[in-house]
Amino acid sequence: MNAFVARYLSVFLDGALVTVELALAAIAIVIVWGLVVAVARLSRVRGLAALAGGYIQLMRNTPLLVQIYFIYFGFAMAGFGLSGFASGLLALCLQNGAYAAEIYRGGLQSLSVKQIEGGRALGMTPWLTFRIVVLPQAVARVVPPLGNQFVLILKDTSIVSAIAVGELTHVGKLLSERTAATYEIFFVLAAFYLVMTSIVTTLVRLNERRVALLV
Amino acid sequence: MLLDVLIGNLGYLLRGAVVTVGLAAATVVPSAVIGMVLALAKVFGGMGVRAVVDVYLYVIRGVPLLVLLFFMYYALPYSGIDMPPLVGGVLVMSLYFGAFMAEIFRAAILSLPRAQWDAARSLGMRRRLLFQIVIYPQVFRLAAPPFVNTCILLVKSTSLVSIISLWELTLAGREVAERTFAPLQIFGGVALIYFVLCYGLSRYGLYLEERMRFAH
Repeated sequence: MNAFVARYLSVFLDGALVTVELALAAIAIVIVWGLVVAVARLSRVRGLAALAGGYIQLMRNTPLLVQIYFIYFGFAMAGFGLSGFASGLLALCLQNGAYAAEIYRGGLQSLSVKQIEGGRALGMTPWLTFRIVVLPQAVARVVPPLGNQFVLILKDTSIVSAIAVGELTHVGKLLSERTAATYEIFFVLAAFYLVMTSIVTTLVRLNERRVALLV
Repeated sequence: MLLDVLIGNLGYLLRGAVVTVGLAAATVVPSAVIGMVLALAKVFGGMGVRAVVDVYLYVIRGVPLLVLLFFMYYALPYSGIDMPPLVGGVLVMSLYFGAFMAEIFRAAILSLPRAQWDAARSLGMRRRLLFQIVIYPQVFRLAAPPFVNTCILLVKSTSLVSIISLWELTLAGREVAERTFAPLQIFGGVALIYFVLCYGLSRYGLYLEERMRFAH
């Protein structure tokens, strides 16, 4: 087992690097995109709120894999083909952005309106009320579920292997078709994913404690 | 017409959708049972049992479903365990979603006030009766909204078995898209079918959540 792992370790590491790139890019975009969608969803402009709601429902009720196929094969046929990496990233962001939007919305709505009224009654501007009353509390409530979503994003990157992006799962699949050491391959794969998800979980926990102190 | 290709192949795709529904239904029941057993083990088990369950949950929650499916498909045949993809797919998905259901049931069990246990015991109820008429009815009601939401994830995840060449909606879509060179329409149609399957579940989940809010 050790000889095999040592021989192919650099191949696995290359795959893991692509997985990390995909996951980090997706997480960074989802943090912003989810907030944009949540604000649109809560907007007083009817059309905008309905649009955001429709988008969230569409994403939550269709599989990531089908979205990846739609973007990768469909866009190419329509004349603006994206690379496998870009297609996978786009699909990951679209799907997880919808979940993140619901998390943000929950965080913003869980605050009592009285707090905002209280801030306004004290003579604070709406922006100041938002910045020092709403935002710190919303962040504290949003960080734990968002962290869970980040772990799911990291795991979801494996699905991008279906369109032959050379990330960790794809590397494992190729190696197990070429060699007979399938057990070794999957233990290494599982170990890599466990280490990566544990790092994300630990980072989120540490942050959770920090934002909890803010409130 | 642009959509003729989709309409012409709709029958084939719908047959795939029937398999998808069957797969999801075959997975939901064992994963709920596994989830409940794990949750009970985690709440009431001894230290050894709890440690085993913790390791199981840690591994399942940290490794992607697709990797577990590949393990069943590529690695297990080497030790002579050669399951048909249908059986293996349902088994792996049940084990995977069982871990998620376990968290849901555990949270529901722990959210029951301690006083209810004491009250039931002081009325002289046996353990079995206590579970039957006090614990389970409440746990199922509390767990219903997140359970339904997990069912949506489960239906969506059945698409992954297409990668290990198990024929269902997504694989049917791939076949048709490759044959007709119309991936936009076909995968759009496939997405729409999944949407129809899941949207009802979504509404039901929302309804259960609303009802819960009024109950409290």
